[in-house]
Amino acid sequence: MKSFLIIIWIIAAMLMLISTRSAAQDKNPVFETDDCIICHIQIEMMPADFHQNDIHLQEGLSCAGCHGGDPSTDDPELAMDRERGFVGVPSRQETPEFCGKCHSSIEVMRKFRPRIATDQVEQYFTSIHGQKLKQGDKKVAECVACHTAHSIMSANDGRASTHPLNVPGTCKTCHSDPEYMKEYDIPTDQFENFTVSVHGTALLDNKDTGSPACNDCHGNHGATPPGLESVSHICGTCHANNLNYFSSSPMEKAFREMEIHACEQCHGYHEVIPTSDEMISVGEKSVCTTCHSEGDVGYTAAVEIHKDLTDFVQKYNEAEKKLQEIKKKGMDDVDILFALQEANQTLIHTRTLVHTFDPLQVEEKAEEGKEKAIEAINLARQEIEDFYIRRYGFGFATIFITIFVVALYFKVRSLD
Amino acid sequence: MKTSRRKFLNIALGTSFFGWIVSVIYPIFTYLKPPKIPEAVVNSIKAGTASDFPANSGKIVKFGRVPVLVIKTVEGNFRAFAGTCTHLDCIVQYRDDLKQIWCACHNGLYDLRGINVSGPPPRPLEEFAVDVQNDEIFITKKLS
Repeated sequence: MKSFLIIIWIIAAMLMLISTRSAAQDKNPVFETDDCIICHIQIEMMPADFHQNDIHLQEGLSCAGCHGGDPSTDDPELAMDRERGFVGVPSRQETPEFCGKCHSSIEVMRKFRPRIATDQVEQYFTSIHGQKLKQGDKKVAECVACHTAHSIMSANDGRASTHPLNVPGTCKTCHSDPEYMKEYDIPTDQFENFTVSVHGTALLDNKDTGSPACNDCHGNHGATPPGLESVSHICGTCHANNLNYFSSSPMEKAFREMEIHACEQCHGYHEVIPTSDEMISVGEKSVCTTCHSEGDVGYTAAVEIHKDLTDFVQKYNEAEKKLQEIKKKGMDDVDILFALQEANQTLIHTRTLVHTFDPLQVEEKAEEGKEKAIEAINLARQEIEDFYIRRYGFGFATIFITIFVVALYFKVRSLD
Repeated sequence: MKTSRRKFLNIALGTSFFGWIVSVIYPIFTYLKPPKIPEAVVNSIKAGTASDFPANSGKIVKFGRVPVLVIKTVEGNFRAFAGTCTHLDCIVQYRDDLKQIWCACHNGLYDLRGINVSGPPPRPLEEFAVDVQNDEIFITKKLS
C-alpha cells in the first residue's frame, strides 16, 4: 500500500512538472529576460495599450527594439542611457520615420516578414495625413493613431485595429469627432452614413470582409480622398461590369460634361443604399427624374427599362414561389433549382445592363431570363401534377379496394 | 328485385376488382419505370466526353444539387471547382482571355487552382477531382 502511494505521488509530481514546463514554454521569454519589461511590470508603469500578443513582442522585439536602451540591466539609469542607444518616445512628427527605421528597410523586414511592403512611409507622405504632418499639424493620423503603439497585430488578426472589420471604427475615432475635426473643413458623418449603407451593413453586420472598408476606397498608407475622375474607377474595382457598361454608354459623356460624379450621383458614396428596380423608373424613388422629365429620351428609356425589369422579376418571383411549393411537397426540385439559378444570374446581368441605359439591351436580357423563369415554372407544374396523380391514385385505390372487399363479402354471403 | 341486386353486386365486384388490379399493377409499372427523384448524395458524375471539350474553355455541370465548373486548360488538363463564388454565391465562369475563374458579380478572380487572387472572395473554391477514362470525364468529390 505504501509503495502504491509512492507511485501515485511520483506520477502526480511528474504531471505537475510537465504542466509547469508547458506554461513556462508558452510564456514569451522576454517576460523573464528583458529587464525593461520586468521593472516596468514591477513598478506598474506599463503602457496603457500594452498587449502581450503585440506582433513585435511575439517576434522577440521588446521595448528596446523601438525605444533603444539596454534591456540587460536592471539599473534604470543605465538601461535608459542615451549613450546606450535609448531614444525614448518619439513625437508625432517623428513617428513615421521612427517606425520606418525597420519598416522601410528591406534588409530588416526580410528577417521578420519577407513579403511585407516596405514603402509604407513613402506612401504615407503622399497622403493628406502625411502632408499635413509635414506641415506641422500635430493632430493628423500617423502610424500609431491607426496601428496603436503597443498592441499592434497583423491586419489578418481579428483583434487588430487594422483588421477589415475594425477599420471603420479605427477611422471613426478621429473622423466622427466633430470637436477634433472642427478645424478641417470636412464632414464627420461618414461612419454614420457608412453603417447604414449596403457596404457597411455587409461588413459590420454580416461580417463580410469582402465588402469594402474605408481603406478599400481611400487607400491605406497613402490615404487620399478619390478625386472626381477616379470615383467610378474605385467603384469599378468590384463593380467592373457596371463601370464598363457605363463607360461605353452615352451617359458617360453627358456626366463628364456636366461634371457629375459617375457612380455617386445615383448611388451616393458613404451611404450607398441597397439598389432597387425603382431607382430606374419615373416613380417616387427614381434617380432618373432628377435630370430627365416627361417626353425626353431618358424618361422614356427609364419607363421601358423599369417595365422590362419588373416583368422579369414578377416571373422570377413566381418561379421561386413554385420552387418553395415543390420543396414543401417533397418533390424533385433539382432541375427547377438549376433553371432558377440561371434565371437569377440573368437577373443580375439584366440589372447590370441598366448601366448601358439602352432599353433594347435590357429587354433582350430580360426576355432571356424570363424564359428561364418560365422553364422553372413549367418544370414545377409537372412536378405538382405528378404529386397530385400520386395522391389521387392512392385515394382511388383505397376506395376500389374497400368496395371490392365489401362487394366480395356480400357475394360470398349470397352464394351461401 | 333480387336479380337487379345480384346484378348490382356483380357490377360492383367487377369494377372494384378491376380497380384493385390497376392499383396493384400501376405501382409495379412505376417501379419498373420510376419517376425522377433527387439522389440523396452525389459523389461522382460524368461530365461529357473529353475530346468534345475545347481547350481553354469551361462549362457548368450539375453535381447533384450544386453547380460545378469544369475547365479544360490551354495545356489540355481538366480541373473542376465548385461553381458558386465564395463571396455571395454567384455562379462563376471561366474567362478564356484571362485564363482565370471570374465572378461577374463583384469582379472576383480565382486562379486555376481555385485560389482567390483578387476581389472580394474570402476563400478559395472547393476543388473536385477530375479523372478521364476512355474519353469520359468523371468528376468526383475530393475527400477532405
